[in-house]
Formats: sequence, C-alpha cells, structure tokens
Amino acid sequence: MTGANIDYDYLLKFLVLGDSGVGKTCLLYQYTDGRFHTQFISTVGIDFREKRLLYNSRGRRHRIHLQIWDTAGQERFRSLTTAFYRDAMGFLLIFDLTSEKSFLETANWLSQLRTHAYSEDPDVVLCGNKCDLLQLRVVSRDQVAALCRRYRLPYIETSACTGANVKEAVELLVGRVMERIENAACNREFSLLLTQSRCLPNIAYGQPEDLVRLHDRREEPCSRRNCRNC
Amino acid sequence: MSLNPQYEDIGKGFVQQYYAIFDDPANRANVVNFYSATDSFMTFEGHQIQGAPKILEKVQSLSFQKITRVITTVDSQPTFDGGVLINVLGRLQTDEDQPHAYIQTFVLKPVGGSFFVQHDIFRLSLHDV
Repeated sequence: MTGANIDYDYLLKFLVLGDSGVGKTCLLYQYTDGRFHTQFISTVGIDFREKRLLYNSRGRRHRIHLQIWDTAGQERFRSLTTAFYRDAMGFLLIFDLTSEKSFLETANWLSQLRTHAYSEDPDVVLCGNKCDLLQLRVVSRDQVAALCRRYRLPYIETSACTGANVKEAVELLVGRVMERIENAACNREFSLLLTQSRCLPNIAYGQPEDLVRLHDRREEPCSRRNCRNC
Repeated sequence: MSLNPQYEDIGKGFVQQYYAIFDDPANRANVVNFYSATDSFMTFEGHQIQGAPKILEKVQSLSFQKITRVITTVDSQPTFDGGVLINVLGRLQTDEDQPHAYIQTFVLKPVGGSFFVQHDIFRLSLHDV
C-alpha cells in the first residue's frame, strides 16, 4: 500500500460480534443501506462494509474511512480465530432483547474479545437489538444496567429493522475510538495498532486498486440478508 | 476382505443420501443412524467426538435451520477392508449467511452387507491464519 491512494486521515476497523441471529448483518445493512459497498472475502469468511465519515473534534475535521467486519456466519460452526480480531480498534457487541440466551452470551463474547483484542480494555459499545419488538422483549433494563456497570460498557438500544439508533451506536463507538486516537500518545498499545493499520495491508484489504474501486461503486445495491422482521 | 469395485457409486450415493437427511431441518437428527454407537469418530471444525450419542448432540447444537449446498466434487477410493474413503468438496449456505466452501471426509466401514460411517472430518475452507 502506497500513500498515494490514501485520501482519508484515519482508517478505523470495527468488528461486529454477538450470537447468530441477533441481527448483526441486518444492523450493518441498515447502517450502510444502499449507499455503500459490501465485500465478502470467501477465503477468510469475512464480510466487510465501508463507509466514509467526517469527525469534528477540537476544532479540526478528520476524514474517517470506516471498515466494519462481520463474521458471515462462520461462528455457527466454530469459534472465531485470532485473525478475525486482528487490528480491530473497536467492537460493536450485539445481543437480541428478545433472547435471554444471546444476552447471557455477551459475557463470553466480552472475554473472547478481551483475550484477542489489541488490549484488555478496548472500546466496546453494547447494543440491545430488536428494541422495536416490545411485546417479545425478555431482557430487562435492570439486567442490562448490571452488566454495563460490571464491565463499564456504554449501552444503546437499537432496531436494525426500523433503523432506530443504528447510526448513533456506530457513531458512539467512532467517538470513543477517536478519543483514544487523540490520546494515543500516552497509550503505547494503541499507537502501535494505528501505525500498523496505516501501513496496511492485512489479509482482507486486498490490493490498493481494490480499495479505490470500492468507493467508485457506491451505487451497487447491498442484498438484504438475514432480516426476517423487515 | 477385498476391495469393493462399486466404490465410486457407493461414494456418490452415500453423499447424496447423507446430505438429503442432514440438510432437512426436520430430518437432520436422523443422520445419527449413519454412525455407530461407539465406533464412529467425528472431527467437526477440530472438535473431536466419538460415538453416535455425542455426534447427535453436536448435530443438534448447530444453530442454523436451512442449509443450501452445492457439491463440487466427490472423490472416492476403495479401502482394503471393503470400505470406501470419500472426500467431498463443496459450498454451503446456512440460512441467509454468506456461502462458505468446505471439505468433508468420510470413511465407510462395511458391516453385514451395509456400511456405517467410521470417520467423518468436517472443515470450512477458511484461510485466516
């Protein structure tokens, strides 16, 4: 990767984690609906979506290139390998408000991601998805609040179906990670991660020309998958 | 025992029959009938399992319902005990997930004019090291 193709200030890589069926893919689809490209890399079984953002902070405007990685269903067969977590700067941990099990599993996901992430205390935003299904809700606010206190997590209730809070959830994480970046000078682990991601590529980035081509094909429709509620 | 000259047909026939049952959510648990209660090994994504009851438990723990499958190749060899070694290369799609390539290997062991699955190794073809 040469510097010539980089027309952004920061490349942020996020992972979406959570049990199968909680609505990860659907949430991402909402976030990047119609406007952005999704790319499935079959050799590694990873689906990633990209989006450009502007982030204003301390009187400066930063151009952000956001990549969000999705598991593409491989967690149905196996636990995710270390490679999946590599270079991730932030995590969206999603559970289903209508599934007690998916909520209980968030503790396991947290321990997984803390084991494999660049540090033991990475930025995580917890999302209680399917908040539109009021009648079916089984996870109480108290339960979630206890978990958030215990792990010191920011929490937001989303609906991938209606789109409620989806943008807010991602931007909450962007804000947290950007804050960490701006303080990176005093965080050795994170500055190392930043340096690595700036010089790319790892397995999923592909050739520089691919990266450029992706942004030129914004019109390509994303296929809506895995969302039976919509 | 000698080599079974029908190994190609047995391999193809078995694969077709096995996946017809496995891929039907209502019928999936019946794949257990292909395995021996004690003398079957399964390695599912590196996870080692022995015996039909444990294999059934594994199959039932899989979280997808629908599975769509495309078989690319079925390669078979006769084994010297009259059985068949089968290697399947294919792609599968669980529910609405993205399709994944996979490899599955079976060893069919002859027993009284029929066969049971003595060995079964399954891997998604993900190169993510």
